[in-house]
Amino acid sequence: MANKKWSLSKLFFTLFLMIAMVIQTYPIFWIIMSSFKTSEEMSMKPQYSLPSGIYLGHYVDALTTSNIPRYYLNSIIVAVFTLLGIILLSCPVAFAITKLRIGYGQKLMSFFLLGMMIPVFACLIPMFQVYNFLGLRNTYLALIIPQIGFSLPICIYLYTGFMSFLPNALMEAAVIDGAGTGMVFWKIIIPMSKNTTITILTFNFVSIWNEFTYANTFISSSAMKTLPVGLNDFVGQYGRVEWGSTFAAITLAILPTLLIYFILNKHVMIGMTAGAVKS
Amino acid sequence: MQPKNKLEPLLYIGPALLVFVFIVLVPIVWSVGYSLFEWNGISNMRFVGLDNYKRMIGDEVFHSAFFNNLKFMVISSLYQLVVGLLLATILISITKGSSFMRVIYFIPCIISSMAICQIFKRLLSIQPVGLVNYVLDKLGLEQVAFIANPDTALITLTLVDAYKFCGIYMIIFYSAFASISPDVVEAAHIDGCNAVQSYFYIKLPMIRDVFTIVVVMLVNGCLKTFEIFYIMDNRSLSTEMVATYMYKTAFSSSSFGYGSALSVFLVVECLIAVSLVRRLMPKTEAE
Repeated sequence: MANKKWSLSKLFFTLFLMIAMVIQTYPIFWIIMSSFKTSEEMSMKPQYSLPSGIYLGHYVDALTTSNIPRYYLNSIIVAVFTLLGIILLSCPVAFAITKLRIGYGQKLMSFFLLGMMIPVFACLIPMFQVYNFLGLRNTYLALIIPQIGFSLPICIYLYTGFMSFLPNALMEAAVIDGAGTGMVFWKIIIPMSKNTTITILTFNFVSIWNEFTYANTFISSSAMKTLPVGLNDFVGQYGRVEWGSTFAAITLAILPTLLIYFILNKHVMIGMTAGAVKS
Repeated sequence: MQPKNKLEPLLYIGPALLVFVFIVLVPIVWSVGYSLFEWNGISNMRFVGLDNYKRMIGDEVFHSAFFNNLKFMVISSLYQLVVGLLLATILISITKGSSFMRVIYFIPCIISSMAICQIFKRLLSIQPVGLVNYVLDKLGLEQVAFIANPDTALITLTLVDAYKFCGIYMIIFYSAFASISPDVVEAAHIDGCNAVQSYFYIKLPMIRDVFTIVVVMLVNGCLKTFEIFYIMDNRSLSTEMVATYMYKTAFSSSSFGYGSALSVFLVVECLIAVSLVRRLMPKTEAE
């Protein structure tokens, strides 16, 4: 009797997991699948049918008739420099907090953590005014600077958490051999923190690639737009009639994050949930 | 290790500190200042004191944005909490495929809001017919203009938003369950505790703190919600949120003063809500 009840609940659980799996993935699967259908197929056959072959015409359309390659380039440039800035600024701070005897390490950490409570919207209007005044609107800097500033707290927090567990023995040995702080930082701390660096790079890449608010506020010239805002323009221009190339454009836009996620999903999940928990 | 002198640590801290102060902290103070002025970005700023805040009290658009936002917060939080907890509970109890499924369930979290919105706009579209309405039609049911109809728009967008983010809470609950020592569960099992009892009387109470964190995150996140509602906007009051209203006031109508007052309201609202949640949620007895 008990056994039967057990297997029944097991069946229910399995069913639930399957349904959840379909719900979580089907919309994305549907988009990718539909992007390979020819226009006739799309209008003649039911929307849930699988494509009869891999038709790449919509991709050719999306890449040749629109600004999408340019949006791609912009997104890549912004992502590279933002990531570089984040690492270059946050890693040294964590080193100073955990490994240098400075006396105010804890206070400094809480000061940075304060930043996680501040919503982006509270800063948007002054930022807009300042960037306008400095002539930074429609430049990459208008997207890079705020994203670095707002991701510093969580990245410093992640680095500090990791570095506080690094044993001091190796560092002390290096100091006895006459190494200064710079040497210790470059030759010991940075190489040993490689895993945390990968975590920080991957989950920040996902959020930078998907960033919409700054791009929508600070960028108005089409040549400087990043993919999320560019995608919106593309849909506005072609979306009503050309569903096929819209599907192809969406697929192209989400491809890089999907690829990174499938290779480094552990890092993405750790980073995103840590970021969420702390705020 | 001992730094060479007092200035050396600044080499490591200074740049980040400067960036942080000027990009994150200065603007927020600035916002409070702006909120006391009337200003369209071009003409001279005019000091109006607390008038912008008084205007909020009588502003009907703001009222509906505020109440929409509360409705959204309740529904979205419940959905994400229940789905996240349920998935984590099931995943922790199965042995095969659990990590693969976690990766799958998390996918919507890494897709940009823009892409999610564009996908759902097409899934839910009525003219031309999208997949959902196509299926409704084939089942002999009436087609629904999910996004354009003000009666269904709020709940539709709420579910899209909850759908996108529920994976995060699944991971948080999952790691909380995973950190419970197996000894405790085993001891309970030896004492004759069945699986359901051990779940409700041992596991759930043990992750009580995580519950508090999750509710704080949900409330905080929902009050600040912006992207989904801004992108899938149906140009009616039914889907206006506090953040979208603030954004439109500042950047579409160029009322920077009133927009700043709204953004200050948003910050204060979040702080109050979070401290309320912290007070209301049960605390761990150990502390």
